[in-house]
Amino acid sequence: MKIRNRLWLDLGEVGSLLTNFGCHQDHAVGLLMTILRNAHIEIALASTRSIFSKRQLLRKFKRVDMLIMSVLSINYPFAVKCAKLFKKVNPDGIVIVGGLHASVAIDEMVSVKQFDYICRGPGENILIDLVTKPDKFGRVIEGTGAKAMADWPDIDRTLWPKPAINIPGMMNTWPLEKYTIEEPPSATILTSRVCPWQCAFCNESSYIANMVRKPVELVIKELNDIDRRFGPLNSVIIHDSNFFQNPKWIRKWIEKYPKLANSKWPYWAAARTDTIRRWPDLFVMLLKETNLRTISLGLESGSDNVLKILNKECTEEDNDFAIDLINRTGDEMLTRGHEPPRIYANIIFAIPGETKDDARKTVAMLKRIRRVRPSVSYFAPYPGSILGYQLIAEGKSLMTQNGYHRYPGTETLKGIDYKFYDKLLLDLPNYQSPKGTKRLARRMAKSIFSRILGDLQ
Amino acid sequence: MKIQRNKSSIYLFKMTNDKFKLAYGITPEEALSILGLRLTAEEMNLIVRDKYRRIKSKDLVNYVDRLG
Repeated sequence: MKIRNRLWLDLGEVGSLLTNFGCHQDHAVGLLMTILRNAHIEIALASTRSIFSKRQLLRKFKRVDMLIMSVLSINYPFAVKCAKLFKKVNPDGIVIVGGLHASVAIDEMVSVKQFDYICRGPGENILIDLVTKPDKFGRVIEGTGAKAMADWPDIDRTLWPKPAINIPGMMNTWPLEKYTIEEPPSATILTSRVCPWQCAFCNESSYIANMVRKPVELVIKELNDIDRRFGPLNSVIIHDSNFFQNPKWIRKWIEKYPKLANSKWPYWAAARTDTIRRWPDLFVMLLKETNLRTISLGLESGSDNVLKILNKECTEEDNDFAIDLINRTGDEMLTRGHEPPRIYANIIFAIPGETKDDARKTVAMLKRIRRVRPSVSYFAPYPGSILGYQLIAEGKSLMTQNGYHRYPGTETLKGIDYKFYDKLLLDLPNYQSPKGTKRLARRMAKSIFSRILGDLQ
Repeated sequence: MKIQRNKSSIYLFKMTNDKFKLAYGITPEEALSILGLRLTAEEMNLIVRDKYRRIKSKDLVNYVDRLG
């Protein structure tokens, strides 16, 4: 079969790209689209995040021979519905899927007959062959990826989907991004890929082997190029699962970033409390010298028992140590007239085995942080994670193929007193629960989307 | 201050119903005690405590159908 028209369908949070109100992008889509563009393979892009109606989606599918989607567990229901819709329009068309869900829940993917080719694992090294000569492959393909991040091309950010409507007076950051955690426009980047720890709630390590980290100079060069081409940038979001690892790399970052970057942009990056405790001087230097403004800290819980259930390999003592160190350093920076770092506190509640006292200890821990923004999830048994696989096997998961969410308000496990947790959230410092217009907007977006794809169920 | 720690491992315990139970900890004994934090005594009794093997996280997917 000769492939004439290929379409990459970006799957993302419903309504997040209808307007220029917010703009978040998917690095997998950007990287893979860039690889195809560099190989002179023509491919169009559409996004479920920026369509208003099913008719609009159908129009995008017209005269398309090949649909490609990168599927996360959270997007899996959308992917199934979109593939069904595509096949209604193009019964002979080809659907290629990959992404994390293909690696962690292959049986689920194989059961969808509309998925013609399913790529497990990283796909960047086989993508060109797969989209040009799909008939050379079997239905389930073991993908291969790059060994080092330096082997990847810099993402051409103009290949990312655009907001459907620009509201006058509201900042349009595209192709830069707009988050509430740092001042927009922001550039998102990755410096490392795949966290080497094995937390029981996370499925990352079962997906891709570790890759060699991107050299510091290349990270700074990419940021400078983005700033020159699309800037001026106001902040950087480093999307690494764990930025504060590998002291040698961090020392180089501390030395080079302030000198070589076009500006010492404030940035957001993730850390674990055990590594902060292991290298405290290095961490303080990072805070003071490089403008690490927001630390996305994987605290998860204030209870040793729960940290063990999560296989976090951190302790209450580690968490307290990191909190005290960041509080103290922040106070010192404030005294000297510098903006202090704040903690974006990642917390998981509703964990199987967590007692009410454990949960209260977590709240008490959060209250000890002087500058905090809690980011709260309810435990979700994702396939691919150690605890997720086990709880699914025990028949305790309430997550279904139609809903893989971990937002508070969603019940994901049997035997959990969710009402207790819903109430507990009200006691958290600076917790922003979705309310008022935001809640209404979210409901409207959900309603629009369910109307778009609802009749496919 | 340098904190050195032993790494946690993943263990697959045999169960009396021919299924397997995933657990994790620094030792198999610790892995069992962590399981005990969330399972009932009845559920724990199904685990054969001295029949286990260590596995890697990337191999988890190969055992999914045999978990219980």
